[in-house]
Amino acid sequence: MAVLTVSRRLLLQGTAALAGLATLGLRAHAAGGGRLVVAADSEPKNLNPAIVASNGVFFVASKVIEPLAEASYTGENGLAPRLALAWEGSSDGLSVTFRLRPDVTWHDGKPFTSADVAFSALQVWKPLQNLGRTIFADLTAVDTPDPLTAVFRFSQPTPIQLIRNALPAVTAVLPRHLYEGTDIATNPANVQLVGTGPYRFAEYKPGQYYRLTRNDAYWDKGKPALEEIIFRVLPDRAGAGAALEADEIQLAAFSAVPLADLARIAKVPGIKVVPEGYEGLTYQLVVEINHRRKELADLKVRQAIAHAIDRKFVVDTIFLGYATASTGPVPKNAGEFYTPDVETYPFDVARANALLDEAGYTRGADGVRFTLRLLPAPYFNETRQFGDYLKQALKAVGIDAQLVNNDAAAHIKAVYADHAFDLAVAPPVFRGDPAISTTILVKSGLPAGVPFSNQGGFVSAEIDAVIAQAARTVDTSARTQLYKTFQKLVAADLPLINVAEWGFITVARDTVENVASNPRWAVSNWSDTALQG
Amino acid sequence: MAFLRRYLRSGAGMAGLLILAAIALAALAAPWLAPRDPLAIAGPALLPPFSDAGLPLGTDRLGRDVLAGLIHGARASLAVGLAAMAAALLIGSVVGTVAGFAGGLVDEALMRITDAFQVVPRFLLALAFVSTLGPSIGTVVLAIALGAWTEPARLVRAQVLSLRERDFVAAARVIGMHPAEIAFREILPNALTPALAIAALIVAAAVLIEAALSFLGLGDPNIVTWGTMIAEGRNLLRTAPSLSLLPGLALVVTVLGIYLVSEGIGEALDRRGRAAP
Repeated sequence: MAVLTVSRRLLLQGTAALAGLATLGLRAHAAGGGRLVVAADSEPKNLNPAIVASNGVFFVASKVIEPLAEASYTGENGLAPRLALAWEGSSDGLSVTFRLRPDVTWHDGKPFTSADVAFSALQVWKPLQNLGRTIFADLTAVDTPDPLTAVFRFSQPTPIQLIRNALPAVTAVLPRHLYEGTDIATNPANVQLVGTGPYRFAEYKPGQYYRLTRNDAYWDKGKPALEEIIFRVLPDRAGAGAALEADEIQLAAFSAVPLADLARIAKVPGIKVVPEGYEGLTYQLVVEINHRRKELADLKVRQAIAHAIDRKFVVDTIFLGYATASTGPVPKNAGEFYTPDVETYPFDVARANALLDEAGYTRGADGVRFTLRLLPAPYFNETRQFGDYLKQALKAVGIDAQLVNNDAAAHIKAVYADHAFDLAVAPPVFRGDPAISTTILVKSGLPAGVPFSNQGGFVSAEIDAVIAQAARTVDTSARTQLYKTFQKLVAADLPLINVAEWGFITVARDTVENVASNPRWAVSNWSDTALQG
Repeated sequence: MAFLRRYLRSGAGMAGLLILAAIALAALAAPWLAPRDPLAIAGPALLPPFSDAGLPLGTDRLGRDVLAGLIHGARASLAVGLAAMAAALLIGSVVGTVAGFAGGLVDEALMRITDAFQVVPRFLLALAFVSTLGPSIGTVVLAIALGAWTEPARLVRAQVLSLRERDFVAAARVIGMHPAEIAFREILPNALTPALAIAALIVAAAVLIEAALSFLGLGDPNIVTWGTMIAEGRNLLRTAPSLSLLPGLALVVTVLGIYLVSEGIGEALDRRGRAAP
């Protein structure tokens, strides 16, 4: 009998342990500094933000590895200092001096110095990083006169405005002592991250979760407020909303809760919907045009297509109001560069029809002027829905658009390598500066196969010249002026059609504090994020 | 005629026939019942069912008429189902007849190929085929037929094996008919009956596979299908459940109808066996 009792107790213990395993990190502990459980929808293979500058990586890694500066609503030039306290560009554009934060240590206890910055810039950002390759193309050396000063030297004038705008996304600093002399691309620290940030990387269970714990030695004394952050892998978008309602997770960023579900979930007590905190991560809804098609090479046809799109419908129905209609290639919330003073194309079906008639493409007996292939990018529900809508909008002006659906890899191959499209719907990201985002969709001369670039065969010597000049203009106001000219030229010539711009939505429990405290909040360090006791 | 009379006596068969007739009628009359393009934006988005007489079943996420979608979706489902069934029967009966009649090495080779197709799960085969060749209604039909021809092939072969020993085949040989003519004009018509009995099941499976492919975004995006409607409604399951429930219901009823018809055919064939020994 005794044996039986023991085995039953063992059995119970086993069951409890199993249950504990199953719910590890899934329930919030209201007491103490707290554990924040967040929905993660992807598991990047390489988590190193200095190599892979993408939002999927930043989402987890930005809490561990910090950049030199972060975007800010209130700071000078829209920046708040992180590992750098100040930065200044020389008037000839050939050097930028960073003064670094003192008394910062890596998670393994070693001190952070200018040597780490020099190593990261020359060995990682410039040769290995997707964005850094462009920005730091002319970087030749980084001088380190003392442990808290780093001077970047360029062979060609490099605008300080570009460097500034790029700081939050491209300057994640790596610990030199762990990377030097190793194969950087395969270093184990790319997964088991070591940084200076408010959270340490604790563990990663593939298919289950990432766990970050509080860095007690963080340079910003008294922060962070949380004990632990768990990124729970929840690939099913329908699941995030239900998990929030059940309080299994407290936060779902990057629109993990579908737009169409927001109106309902906003009414659930204890849950808030936060559309702020993504101003620095604006996505643009763009119609890419293949100018090799003779009909689309005609400006009148492109103007007609621009007039055929009802931007109000796109914003109100497809994005349910969580978007803004675009006027040109720079989004409205990039206030520094944006100009509304460009050619606009109000929704006007009659005008579109008249333009197409003028261009000589009259309707056939079946009401069709010509047929096009339309390839909506498969990454977002909204890009697919806009594809469905665009087909109908074009039908109203006599253009028969045949939708072609592809998976992500096939879409990239069809559009950017094989040019097997007439119109495509793309969601490019505006990265804070036109030099590293929107201009690549317009400038000519890029080889076939470069994804998310101008592969439509559009060539304008005038626009190319403005882009090239802006890349070398050091003076901030002159450079800004050049990009305003760029917007005007693009809106007049329509190499592509900008339809709308949108950010993501965060849905969180009311207990999560300081959500959206900066314009790149989801990919920032969350040192001030807290859970109400 | 006798077969028809026996079929009409089967209750299940009659019910299935009525259901299918109603759906087929709606599909055939789609241009008159819902003259607008079912993909056109017809009204405000997410109109609930029964709130507007002009749009009785409401509208979807973009404001497309759900009723028009259901009616036109029936066309896609039935067309794909019937076309895939015809293609599968065609391939199956030719392979089965050749294998059964020729025998020997040819039979071995053809049957091993059939095995190869049979061991790959049907849906996986269709998925791979469509994702390689790109989604269009033609490739979807072919992809489904590719997985469905094996059963009729085996049934026809078995039938041919027994038929080729009969006297009328021997007679045909004696009068000097070409073997191909014997196989396809004398034997195949008599071997086809059991294959026809599973035809309905092939249609039902095809309708389901087509819906599943569309659900995964591998259907033809230029036509409305029930699978696409369910996939698009899935994100709104909590907000507007009717968007996925209605096409789902249509799918269930259609497949049920086809199964009942197949049941009826089976019963009718059974009775023939008993009535005329």
